[in-house]
Amino acid sequence: MKIIRKGDIALIAVILLAAACFVLWSNSKSEAPQAVITVDGEVVETVDLQSVGEKRIIEPVSGVTIVAENGEIRFEKADCEDKLCIASGSLSRHGDTAVCLPAKTAITVTGSDVDAVVY
Amino acid sequence: MKKAVTAAAVVLAAVLAALLIYDGVINNEATADFFAMNTYASVKIKGADSEECAALAEEITQNLDTDTLSRTAENSAVSLLNKNGGGALGEKMQGYVSALLDVCEKSGGAFDFTLGALSDLWNFGGTPSIPDKAALADALLHSGYEKLTLSENTLDYTDKAAVIDFGAAGKGIALDEIREAFAEKRVKEAVVSVGGSVLLMGEKQFTVGIRNPSGNAGSYIAKLHIPAGCVSTSGSYEQQFEENGEKYHHILNPETGYPASSGLLSVTIISDSGILSDALSTACFVLGHEKGAVLAKEYGCTAIFITENNEVFVENGSKDIIEITDGAYTLI
Repeated sequence: MKIIRKGDIALIAVILLAAACFVLWSNSKSEAPQAVITVDGEVVETVDLQSVGEKRIIEPVSGVTIVAENGEIRFEKADCEDKLCIASGSLSRHGDTAVCLPAKTAITVTGSDVDAVVY
Repeated sequence: MKKAVTAAAVVLAAVLAALLIYDGVINNEATADFFAMNTYASVKIKGADSEECAALAEEITQNLDTDTLSRTAENSAVSLLNKNGGGALGEKMQGYVSALLDVCEKSGGAFDFTLGALSDLWNFGGTPSIPDKAALADALLHSGYEKLTLSENTLDYTDKAAVIDFGAAGKGIALDEIREAFAEKRVKEAVVSVGGSVLLMGEKQFTVGIRNPSGNAGSYIAKLHIPAGCVSTSGSYEQQFEENGEKYHHILNPETGYPASSGLLSVTIISDSGILSDALSTACFVLGHEKGAVLAKEYGCTAIFITENNEVFVENGSKDIIEITDGAYTLI
């Protein structure tokens, strides 16, 4: 006499599989570096840096120009006085961040080998 | 018999499934970034209440600024104190002021939060320039923490022209307030950065990069491996400007009224307290390596000094916490 039938095993497997899928889905994160551009906290554009080859120009807000090119992203132009965002240079590494305070615009490369950078 | 076993197996599978889903819930992640206190802030939270807490962090920081610490918001607590030359302090404000007065005293005045008039002259937040000498001397005359007296909940300015400014401690205060609020919520881990001052919450060992003092913003020269707490850095690279071929940075020496020059590029302080990590990083930067190390020890904080010779010193803590990742810097 079989204690558990095939059908039972299938049922148990389905329940476990569904749970595992749910967890994987809820924890899913892309490993490839993504540059997330936010304006005042709202995500306006996400750029997959690995797939960026040719020059791509993004204007998240009037007066600010961001350029993504060859796996890197940078502030190209900004109408502010200090140009600190442009001075931040090109971002490509996990955790890299550049911010334009006057325009409330930020670029963050997601996924990081550090939890935060103190400055 | 067979049915009972099947039922038990199904129940077991359901319990496992529930546990897996529960794990998904308690590890629910939320991130947010926002602009507050004239700076950029970002939040990463893991926990059942992560989304609610991400919004809460922003609300706390904004309110702390406009209601309490801002010098530009007309009716903030600080604006009213400056306008009236003192006044009664709320419970929280009393805590902030007494903590900062303590740092002023223990640092021998290297930290001073009465330099509002002086900061306005340099105008680092706007378009900075070297102030007129006479104006600078006048601002210095009306600055100095010894012009404040705190008795119980009343702060009095003995010189009514003194201007208090929380610029060197406000970000740390925000971290303390956020931590207090998160403690009431279901938060498993949190990393909060308010303008580069960082709060770490949770059981794990965190990795925090120390910004490269002479490179791009966002790049780091060393990793710190540390448990939960607060980390702040003061560096000469922030809000720097050049005039007549000379570079000027925003950390002012309260004695001279000019940017502090103590042979350091940056100081990083690790503390349980946000307000202390923030204020002490400024104090230690002004004091320099040797005197700064003594002050950090007095507060039981670990301090990391990066000198102009690219030498890195860990004071009052183990060197094991730091890993240099940039060959241009040497751990001494």
